[in-house]
Amino acid sequence: MASNRRARVLMAKHILEGHDRGGKTVIRMLRDAGVEVIYIIYRVPEDIVTAAKQEDVDVIGLSFFSGGYLENVPRLIKLMEENNMKDVIVIVGGLIPDVDQPELLKMGVKGVFGPGCDLTRFMDLVKSHAESRV
Amino acid sequence: MFDEKTLEETRKLAEEWQETCRRRYQDKDFNSTTSSGIPIKPIYSPLDIEHINYAQDIGMPGIYPYMRDNYAIHYQFQPWINQQTHGYGLPEHTRERMDLLAKAGMKGYFGGRAYNLVWDLPSYAGIDPDEPEAVGYHGKDGVSCVTDEDFERMLHDLDLTKMNIVLINADTIPIFAHFIAYADQKGVPRNKLRGNTMNWQFSAWWLPSMLWEPEGGLKLATDLIRFTCREMPDWNHTNFECHAISEMGANAVQQMAFGIATAMAVAGSCVKAGIDPDAFMPGMGFQIANCNDLFEYICMFRAWRRLWARIVHEKYGCKKASSMHLRVHSHTSCYELTKQQPLVNLIRTTLHALGAVFSGTTAMELPGYDEPIGIPTEEAAILSLRIQQVLLEEAGITKVTDPLAGSYYVESLTNTIEEEGKKILQQIEDMGGFMKALKSGWFVSQCRENALKWRREVDSGKKVVVGWNKYTVEEEEKIRPFRVDPEVARIAIERIKGYKAKRDQVKTDAALKNLVAAAERLDKGEYGVVMPAAIEAAKAKATCGEISKALKKVFQWGPQFSSQTDY
Repeated sequence: MASNRRARVLMAKHILEGHDRGGKTVIRMLRDAGVEVIYIIYRVPEDIVTAAKQEDVDVIGLSFFSGGYLENVPRLIKLMEENNMKDVIVIVGGLIPDVDQPELLKMGVKGVFGPGCDLTRFMDLVKSHAESRV
Repeated sequence: MFDEKTLEETRKLAEEWQETCRRRYQDKDFNSTTSSGIPIKPIYSPLDIEHINYAQDIGMPGIYPYMRDNYAIHYQFQPWINQQTHGYGLPEHTRERMDLLAKAGMKGYFGGRAYNLVWDLPSYAGIDPDEPEAVGYHGKDGVSCVTDEDFERMLHDLDLTKMNIVLINADTIPIFAHFIAYADQKGVPRNKLRGNTMNWQFSAWWLPSMLWEPEGGLKLATDLIRFTCREMPDWNHTNFECHAISEMGANAVQQMAFGIATAMAVAGSCVKAGIDPDAFMPGMGFQIANCNDLFEYICMFRAWRRLWARIVHEKYGCKKASSMHLRVHSHTSCYELTKQQPLVNLIRTTLHALGAVFSGTTAMELPGYDEPIGIPTEEAAILSLRIQQVLLEEAGITKVTDPLAGSYYVESLTNTIEEEGKKILQQIEDMGGFMKALKSGWFVSQCRENALKWRREVDSGKKVVVGWNKYTVEEEEKIRPFRVDPEVARIAIERIKGYKAKRDQVKTDAALKNLVAAAERLDKGEYGVVMPAAIEAAKAKATCGEISKALKKVFQWGPQFSSQTDY
């Protein structure tokens, strides 16, 4: 990618979700680190794909506090495949029990960040992917 | 508070103490701050409270300004309500948890049943199970209960007149309408129903997306209050979700001030609607968080009781004690619980609950220790109830009301919190009032700044969280997260489709048309018209989603009206 292009992240929260303290804190930290963040509320995964294409993002970040990920993440990943968005990665955060993490990773999610996670690891993942993207 | 001789002696002692400190610790600074940043000293004495007038400012429990307690005799006569939140899956699943907790000793006032029932997120927002937005959220962290038939599945053999039922959801009117329709069908007089609606409408702070546009939401809230004041005088119509303000990042002083400001916005609207303050005030309650700084949160409660009583009396002219009482449901801190070494959360919650008892709370809701992983398992739910029971039955802390009163530190901090809270209320006034401050996003940005600061302090190690950034261990998550029955979504969708298929559609359509007309009347300033029309719609088998959509034809709803989605 051109060296002057800032990493771009789409952060998305489902319309029925709440408790966004973690997600909003992460957005601020990304912005402070020079990352461009677009924040949307979506009703169905189709909304995420539309926004991600429109905004030409490198990373899609999803935050969940109340389930929903085992149903919505596979739908999103399938839609991304159909839309040829292979170079965009999906990262999931929020209240995700450890037992669900392997399943999310198997679906194609590139990182799962729960309560008390190491945020520098999260930042590194976002930045290194954005840099690798041409 | 003290005579001149005592003060003189104290001044001499204070000088001696200072000298002792200098000798022993040289010029080390032992001053610190509370969690909300109020400067505190390492020791307090009569000198810090000499200006306090005991009779006017501290007084006795059960007597205005009620700082020490709402009641002259409290836990010695009547313990707090065990208000453990529960609800998941289908109505019959939630019923299992209701029975489990009741069997484990969960009690309301005077031995009655108390059920603090939480709805699932689609129901929260007036979205039926068969709508596309509901995918992934059926019964996940609350019950999917959206028709009078669902209420029958959940409550069928229970005596509605002998329970305190709390209906936790954001889009309050549709679910409340179905509950009343169900009670009417059972032949239970409306004025015999006891419980609580949230009536958040525009103030479910933790739900940034599913809110009514504030002015419209305020009208809907006022309509519901007009209705309950007429027909259900003992129903607690409104709950101010201050716990959510705290979870978003507000400190103790902000939690109190933002909560009071929200309540004053609703109270102001009720007065404008012509409702007698002594009729609507007793139905207002506050859901308040006790967090880590034990003393600060106890002092916050005391300051809050006194400040609220004075506002209700002086500004709204209330005379009834029940109007001036700060009715509190303590919902202890969740953001301070950790996913790491989760059993430690039991210790944290015990301390928060201890604070709630010292605060003189009237109802208590404790999270499960597994809350950072999911909704509580049976074991976690019972352990939270056991914390309440140990504090009540074993700790010996309920024998004396407001046992910390008279502590130089506690009285001094209580006063400071009240003063700081008043400053914030004035600041909101100066911004043009609550609605302006809300729409400008001010409340949210205040909370977010704190949340960010908190996280940075945890990351840097300045703030210690046991098991997270200190005393850590390599561990595998041992707790099995609670799961709802995977069939919930399918059954909930089937049921709602069946419900719609067998009804008299002409009757339903007519009732929904009437509801839209009632909403238009409300929009023009006629209060107490929407609730009765919503109940009629429920009786005509309109679903919660359909009732909500009828209201959405007149009032605006959605993330675009939230001050929280702009980032």
